[in-house]
Amino acid sequence: MKTTLLTILFGVFSAVSTVWACTPDLPAVQGKKAQTIDSKKYALAYRTQPEPVVIGQHFVVELALCAKDGAAAPESVRVDAFMPEHRHGMNYKTKVTSSGAGKYRAEGLMFHMPGRWEYIFEVRAAGTTERMTTSVVLQ
Amino acid sequence: MMGTRKLLKYGVAGLLTAGLVASWLAGVTHANEPGVIEFTQAEINRILSHGPWPMKWAPDASNRVSANGHAIDLGERLFFDEKLSVKENVSCGTCHIAEYNWTDGVKRNKGQAMVDRNTPTLMNMRHHRWFALDGAADSLWSQSMRPIVDPRELASNATHVAQYVRKDADLSCRYEKTFGVNPAKQDDESVLVGVGKVMAAFQETLLTDLTPFDAFRDALARGDHNAASLYPRDARRGLKIFVGKGQCSTCHTGPMFTNGEFHDIGVPHFIDGDSKKVDGGRHDGIKKLMASKFNLLGPYNDDATRASATKTTHLKPEHRNFGEFKVPSLRNVGYTGPYMHNGEMLSLNDVVRHYSELNVDRLHSDGEGILKPLKLTQRESADLVAFLQTLNMDRAPPWRGKEYAHPPCVINMPAAAGDAHYAP
Repeated sequence: MKTTLLTILFGVFSAVSTVWACTPDLPAVQGKKAQTIDSKKYALAYRTQPEPVVIGQHFVVELALCAKDGAAAPESVRVDAFMPEHRHGMNYKTKVTSSGAGKYRAEGLMFHMPGRWEYIFEVRAAGTTERMTTSVVLQ
Repeated sequence: MMGTRKLLKYGVAGLLTAGLVASWLAGVTHANEPGVIEFTQAEINRILSHGPWPMKWAPDASNRVSANGHAIDLGERLFFDEKLSVKENVSCGTCHIAEYNWTDGVKRNKGQAMVDRNTPTLMNMRHHRWFALDGAADSLWSQSMRPIVDPRELASNATHVAQYVRKDADLSCRYEKTFGVNPAKQDDESVLVGVGKVMAAFQETLLTDLTPFDAFRDALARGDHNAASLYPRDARRGLKIFVGKGQCSTCHTGPMFTNGEFHDIGVPHFIDGDSKKVDGGRHDGIKKLMASKFNLLGPYNDDATRASATKTTHLKPEHRNFGEFKVPSLRNVGYTGPYMHNGEMLSLNDVVRHYSELNVDRLHSDGEGILKPLKLTQRESADLVAFLQTLNMDRAPPWRGKEYAHPPCVINMPAAAGDAHYAP
């Protein structure tokens, strides 16, 4: 009886959770899963080409984005990167194109120095901007 | 094992040069140490990132005669040809002198007039992303055209260059062999571009050799501690500063010891100390690049895919670009003085002192955040210089003969084995 009640409660909790969450559609490549970031409104998965990023070489970021329940659908995405300790970003601007279904491709990135780089993803929707960041360290 | 004092007592040192003694003693002293104990794993990783040397290279897709033997030959001839200048008194070789590591050994040089910047070396130029100290060119061939038309340098123009190449039978023949079209059938501007492209093909052949640092780095890579122990002790200490607390290798990255980009390091921007004459560095370089019809976005890029133009397409001007200059490669750095964009520092000691006593008030407020005075001791400064000197190749830059052994050009001469053929 006790076990059955717990199972029911777990089921209800899971059902409620799936209402709020979403899963960005960016399948694993060669068994390697994409990196993921969550904000209050959106979930984002990304990976780079090439992987890992090579210092001083241009690379591409592929990303998938989904809006959590109640959040406005993304209208556009901006991708940039910054070195907080160095107080500067990249010397190159990215160009982001959408291929539909919440998928985007950012071209033109280059990390020209070793150290900590912070990816910046800005999601524009319904007149507001949601900023999502994550860091990588290049040796 | 015979000790150092005993060796000296028997006068062995007197038979050797001071340099050989220093190197030999360093090897003996450390032969029994476990090789690389003074470096952390992170430092070793950074050291390994500075090789291997030489780097891989593929011909420049934006230049259809890159790596073409005919182009290299013609490019070398034109590089040293003073008749390209209107006054027939200056060539590219006037300032880029082989025996001086393809620079000139002076603070600033003079063509028709004094220029504003120090002459950069042409060594390893094929591995660069941007060209000139302000990056005003995005290809070696377009950079090669700029001094030809600069009024302070060759002070020439497309018409003069094209007419000269057309009228000289041997040059005209070599041009046709290279491009498959006679220069008489091309307009002046196209011939000038062709001259830039053959000169680039020649400069792509100018490469530095292996250095004592490479020997050390490669020994580390293969775990050969005995070979690694031959690297002089002062250079090791200097290397540890370079990849460690000095953070030098944060900008002087990779096998070329440069990230190929631009930074402000507090060197004065005023030309001749005149506050009305300011060198804007990268800021002005980007403006010139984007205004040039010879950039990689223009019609003279031979790369149909335009992949070579990615850097130019995505280039992002920033406020901090003002006063930034290109991070120089440190390979053969001992042969490239005077130093800095304006040649104001005569020796590597001066350069190290600059970073040791860096005046942060001279830096951009939005510039590189990790630049701080290193506050090196006298010994640390000497060690850093000792390390930098191990980035010189073992032999001095080669003396270059002025005579050409090649036979006169004949247009219907059968192509030699290995000659590439390119459609015009």
